[in-house]
Amino acid sequence: MLLDIRSLSKTYPNGTQALKSVSFTVERGEFVAVIGLSGSGKSTLLRCINRLIEPTSGTILFEGHDVTHIKGEALRRYRQRIGMIFQQFNLIGQASVLKNVLMGALGSVSTIDSILGRFPQSLHEMAMRNLQIVGIADKASVRADSLSGGQQQRVAIARALMQEPQLLLADEPVASLDPATSHSVMRYLGYINRQLGTTIICNLHFLSLVREYATRAIALRNGEIVFDGSPSEITEEWFRHIYGEDAVEVEIR
Amino acid sequence: MKQRIAGFLFDWLVGAYLAVMLHRIVWHELLLGIEGPTSSGASSAAFIAGIPDWLVYGAVGLALASAASISKVSLALLVQGKLERRMWQRTAALHVASLVLSLTFITGWVVTKISLVDMFSGERLRAAGRIFSSLLQPEFAILPQALSAIVETVYLAFMATVLALPASFVLAFLSARNLMRGNVWTRATYTILRALTNFTRSIEPLVWAVIFTVWVKVGPFPGMLALMVHTISSLAKQYSEQIEDIDPGPMEAIASTGARPLQIVWFGVVPQVFIPFLSFTIYRWDINVRMATVIGLVGGGGIGTMLNQYQMLAQWREEGLIVLVIALVVWAMDYISARIREALA
Ligand SMILES: Nc1ncnc2c1ncn2[C@@H]1O[C@H](COP(=O)(O)OP(=O)(O)O)[C@@H](O)[C@H]1O
Ligand SMILES: [Mg+2]
Repeated sequence: MLLDIRSLSKTYPNGTQALKSVSFTVERGEFVAVIGLSGSGKSTLLRCINRLIEPTSGTILFEGHDVTHIKGEALRRYRQRIGMIFQQFNLIGQASVLKNVLMGALGSVSTIDSILGRFPQSLHEMAMRNLQIVGIADKASVRADSLSGGQQQRVAIARALMQEPQLLLADEPVASLDPATSHSVMRYLGYINRQLGTTIICNLHFLSLVREYATRAIALRNGEIVFDGSPSEITEEWFRHIYGEDAVEVEIR
Repeated sequence: MKQRIAGFLFDWLVGAYLAVMLHRIVWHELLLGIEGPTSSGASSAAFIAGIPDWLVYGAVGLALASAASISKVSLALLVQGKLERRMWQRTAALHVASLVLSLTFITGWVVTKISLVDMFSGERLRAAGRIFSSLLQPEFAILPQALSAIVETVYLAFMATVLALPASFVLAFLSARNLMRGNVWTRATYTILRALTNFTRSIEPLVWAVIFTVWVKVGPFPGMLALMVHTISSLAKQYSEQIEDIDPGPMEAIASTGARPLQIVWFGVVPQVFIPFLSFTIYRWDINVRMATVIGLVGGGGIGTMLNQYQMLAQWREEGLIVLVIALVVWAMDYISARIREALA
């Protein structure tokens, strides 16, 4: 078992209960899709897992170790093992693609070396390999903000790969992309999951994408898990239960 | 409740202000024609001997505030926008407000000793003619001297800006709210530094120059120090506001890789603020050149000191040349800095 979440709750300072006693486990190699309406708590859940947000209560076990309250150096080493990509890509637009990818390895370079730009040759080679995996090695020296959305997300994936992560968190990675580009990005995630064996937890909006790429789906509604099973089990009824009575399923091809 | 107390205190202050102005300015200066600060005695506000003026004013203010709070014709309510809907109360409050405003205007007029006679009498107009005609015939003989003085001023402004840079840069990050949310210590640092820079910035460079001329003696050096202190706090504020405005996404992404705090700031924040920082800095240099010309007046060196010397000698044609040189250089700096900032944007 890679990840074991027990009774995880998060209440924001303003009183919003974003997660209400959420429990589930994730095995190595799974591709878990987290679905649910906007505001159902998907982003909060992902950010609690790598502790960008402090959970209010509950426990997070990663490879059997309790990481719920670790701090400082231990927290940084923990985060190094978990990659994350975002809906808005969150690249440093002013820096080159290669530099952005190298930033994924900041945890393993000393502060002074990284500020002086002294990344070891091995990391440069690794960055180029990761850019090859996502198919944009030829863009290594251009400014990141000159790329299209889909290309930027692939750079973000390459950046996360620099961490050689056990787990990859993806917060609606294709929500800002057009359908064709969405599929291309999702295919890279699928490749990383199957070929590199990286476990993936991915927030998604479109059920068609869930059915195509995920091995398992977890549905959140108002901060509670209302479904946990195979994507193929999400029937019309389940769909209404997760998204509400008025929802209509749309496909993305 | 807290608001009502604050409102009452506000009304009290306004009442006391009305009492002071009516008595000191309208009664004394305008009606009795007594000038300057009044001492106790016949002119005192206290009709009963022995009671100090300020007590009388305070009491009148208190009485007015009480009357206001009972009748709800409160100025505080008007300011807070919570005045009762009743027509007469709003009208009355507006009347009080205009009374306060016109009294303030009358007081201002008396205090600044505005006098049309002083400005437009025949003798005064002749004096004006003298200075303007001299200023308009600048004495070019002192041009080399003026040029070397203005060069000193420009360098002074440049050094003040450059030497202020490192301190402003560090202070900016330590006084950016979004970076200092971490724990009690960082929040305390933030609050203290904010208060400190706000305080230093509220003191004009001219005042700093006076302080430093006493400290390190007259010349360009104290002028530079004065501008530097002001620049540190001004740039720190502008920089930190820029930092508070950044997109938090890249920072979050860098943090999620397990980077250390300094790396998060260097890679997630600095690239986003670099160009704006450069732009602020150039603009600050431009402002500093302008300020440096004035700082010389109190002994801070450069062209201002020269301006001061010729004023003492009443040599207005030389003064005219200096003004001309200042105007040209300030205009040129303004133009250049605007062009550079345009190119950066
Ligand atoms: N920083 C925050 N402060 C207060 N409430 C928040 C914050 N972030 C998210 N929320 C609230 O928590 C709930 C869950 O949000 P989120 O996890 O972003 O949902 P999702 O990603 O599924 O759209 C929403 O009601 C949202 O408004
Ligand atoms: Mg979200």
